[in-house]
Amino acid sequence: MRFERLVLPHLDAAYSLAGWLVRDDAQAEEAVQESCLRAFRYFDALRGDEARPWLLGIVRNTCYGLLQRTRQEGPPLSFDEDGCGEDAVAAGAVVSFPLNPEAAAIREADRECVHNALRALPLEFREAIILREIHGFSYREIAATCEVPIGTVMSRIARGRRLLQQALGERGASEDTGT
Amino acid sequence: MKCPECVRLLNAYVDDQLEAAGALAVQEHLRGCARCRTRDESLRTLRDTVHRHTQFRVAPAAMHRALRNEYGARRAAPVQPARRHFAWGAAAMATLALALWGLQGAVERPGAGAGRGAGKVVYHISSSQTASAALRTLRNHLDASPDTKVVVVAHNEGVDFLLRGARDESGQLFQTSVQQFRARGVDFRVCNNTLVRRKIGSDGILPEATLVPSGIAEIGRLQENEGYAYMRL
Repeated sequence: MRFERLVLPHLDAAYSLAGWLVRDDAQAEEAVQESCLRAFRYFDALRGDEARPWLLGIVRNTCYGLLQRTRQEGPPLSFDEDGCGEDAVAAGAVVSFPLNPEAAAIREADRECVHNALRALPLEFREAIILREIHGFSYREIAATCEVPIGTVMSRIARGRRLLQQALGERGASEDTGT
Repeated sequence: MKCPECVRLLNAYVDDQLEAAGALAVQEHLRGCARCRTRDESLRTLRDTVHRHTQFRVAPAAMHRALRNEYGARRAAPVQPARRHFAWGAAAMATLALALWGLQGAVERPGAGAGRGAGKVVYHISSSQTASAALRTLRNHLDASPDTKVVVVAHNEGVDFLLRGARDESGQLFQTSVQQFRARGVDFRVCNNTLVRRKIGSDGILPEATLVPSGIAEIGRLQENEGYAYMRL
């Protein structure tokens, strides 16, 4: 039972990723079920024994399909991925998190703040950071999973983290482009 | 290396994703630049905070069980022999516009199993706009091949036509057609995940339809365990 041995141990990973991408428990469950069905169908396409990146790639694509069907996510990001301009920050969804200059350092940010800030990130940034932080993917694996060049992964992670720093109230983060 | 270049590489640096030469260059710059050292420090703090507060979420036990039952004991083969028994009526072929979900081997090629057995087909309806057309197709299908066993699985907006009081474009109650199809042996199954997500009570669906925990899992089960061919409409 190769499928059972290689794929089913990653259900929690699949569910975690789906949860962060679709931001809804019932939909995450649906996405995982649909992904397992696809994984089962395409099982022959799996090379080697490392099923996790492969499965998570399927989960990711399934979630995008689901989001498109339910039109939950706004239009895709339109600004220049490789730039370092402030438009990215302005376009971010973090406006609902008031910047508080007196806030304690993010060291003390609690779990809920971190979760809210992550959930508010634009989808492309959120998925890059989740794949990196929760799933421990290398930049190369993220690039393969999201089907973008590695430079785009770098810039998505950098921008995502910048938005997180801003949301979590770290002073000066928003202006910091090193110029 | 200047600050902008260092800032560009800094995330990859704190994530240990730079080649040795790049990492050395960043290290070199950090030694001489207090501002970038602060940036480095604060990025590491952020990275660790995010990491600390985001662990795996354990998937619901029921889902673990269901998927283990679903896929655990089964052999992963691209084409199950059972599917070869599906017969494609020529007339039905002419009227069916098939969207096969891009799944290789999900349905046998036309003619591959012609003449053997009556066949079993699961119709997947996931959009309210296609429900009327799907029922027309289904009617043609059954006219051409009356012995075909058909299960309709409704999911997402596809459940709309199975809600009480739902009417088609010409104002006719869908329930009438559904009853006629029931009389011809067609089963209608509704995805409970969809109902939960859309906050529709189970009493909101037609009594002719039955609930299944997950439309997708049901489609998988029908194909894999019972040899159904798949059609998305």
